[in-house]
Amino acid sequence: MIEVEHLTKRFRRATAVDDLSFSVPRGRITGFLGPNGAGKTTTLRVLLGLALPTSGRASVAGKRYRELEAPLKTVGAVLEASNYHPARTGRNHLRVLAAAAGIANAHVDQVLAAVELSDAARRRVGGYSLGMRQRLSVAAALLGEPELLVLDEPANGLDPEGIRWLRNFLRSFADGGGTVFVSSHVLAEVSQLADEVVIIHRGKLVAHQPVVELIAQAAGATRVRSPRAAALLERLRAAGIDAEADGERLAVHAPPERVGDLAAEAGIPLHELVADTGSLEEAFLELTAEPQA
Amino acid sequence: MSALRAELLKAVTTRLLLWFGLGLLAFLLLVLSIHIGSEDPGLLGELSRQRSTFAFGGIAAIVAVLVGAILVTAEYAHGTINQSFLAVPVRLRLLVAKLGGALLVVFVLAVLADAATLVISELWYSGRGLSLHLGRDTLSPFLGAVGASLLAAGIGVGIGALFRRQQTGAIVAILLWLLIGEGVISAAGDAARFAPGHALAAVVAAHSSGSADMLAVWPAAIVGLLYVAVFCGAGFLVVIGSDVPGSGD
Repeated sequence: MIEVEHLTKRFRRATAVDDLSFSVPRGRITGFLGPNGAGKTTTLRVLLGLALPTSGRASVAGKRYRELEAPLKTVGAVLEASNYHPARTGRNHLRVLAAAAGIANAHVDQVLAAVELSDAARRRVGGYSLGMRQRLSVAAALLGEPELLVLDEPANGLDPEGIRWLRNFLRSFADGGGTVFVSSHVLAEVSQLADEVVIIHRGKLVAHQPVVELIAQAAGATRVRSPRAAALLERLRAAGIDAEADGERLAVHAPPERVGDLAAEAGIPLHELVADTGSLEEAFLELTAEPQA
Repeated sequence: MSALRAELLKAVTTRLLLWFGLGLLAFLLLVLSIHIGSEDPGLLGELSRQRSTFAFGGIAAIVAVLVGAILVTAEYAHGTINQSFLAVPVRLRLLVAKLGGALLVVFVLAVLADAATLVISELWYSGRGLSLHLGRDTLSPFLGAVGASLLAAGIGVGIGALFRRQQTGAIVAILLWLLIGEGVISAAGDAARFAPGHALAAVVAAHSSGSADMLAVWPAAIVGLLYVAVFCGAGFLVVIGSDVPGSGD
């Protein structure tokens, strides 16, 4: 659905995106992660035709954004939530976009209802809360009934209720066959929502894989507590397993099943055997860690 | 056509035009009242005086250049340009729609200014026991005011595109040029007739033959069109060849 091929974007001397390549499959939710300044927004803006690439290409459904015959009917984009004329009503804002894209006015009211903004539709956007503006952005993205949603930090500034609303909304959009490409720094949100993630750092790709695989890679050690910790440590090392002891406690770099079996064979009692689960956050921090000086 | 319709909707769904329209009417009321109210009744009866009175409708051209510039810069100031380019990603198409929208909006403003000029003049003339002579000779400034306003709107759109990220800067630059620049350039002698403000004033005056101070109407209109082409050409090229500003990384 989205293809980014050897994309590079430079701003004078700074390189925001550096030979970046990845693809986003149709019908999935893909998270786009990276620390601040990693080049996420720049990549999205090039994809949407708002910034010009220095080299390389970013396309949607095989075409550059400006080549799409009906862009709003192909891609719905949510960019900064503050991009509204404060004196224009929410409904008028959508009417303007609908007119530009040749979309019937009747659809404006439908999308306002879909994002639960019908009651505020005739109020000026200047009086909207951040959450309401974000919903209006989502409504604008939905105007053309697109098959792809591209969202740049959509949870920014949202309260927990707004975040839950957004999560449920994106999940139902994807369940309906839509494709979602969402940049975020709220890793907990992405881990709950995304099927796979693209992680970039300093403009370069550092990972692109399913969330479950990434979390599995970040899985930590098995925590063990035993009154015979020293004997267990000796047994584990004899079996070629790395482990560190701290009194009665051990951190073992092996699956809990293997540790339990070895302890049982040696007749060593265990008082605790816990697998440390990994998280997207751990994987992210590991992948984007700066080298120590 | 859909992009043009959207531009017109943008223009009428804020109060920008309302304030400009009301300001224009108030200014016309003021300057016409001072002009007609303080003039000798004998002179007011002359056709040439009536022509110059009707030319006050040309003040709409000052509003027109500001409206043209603001229709572009306001989109950048509020960040709505991002969504505009998402809806109409071929930038030249959007810019041409903005130019078309500005011309239509300014046409309405200029016609209103002409109507207001006529009504205010008629009220003052009848109040002073005089009558207006409405004929081809006296009415041509009304057409000139519309023409000059359209040219000014085109120049304004071009300036707006050039100054797209500095709305205040664009407005200040336009006002400084009109208030000071045109005056300074008058010192250039005959060549001053080709300055943008002088050329548009010549379109409003709508004289069939030129003078040392002022071009005839058609040469002035051609000079005005050249300014539109230069400002829009340069402004549009800059917009097409640059990134749309946004925040984030």
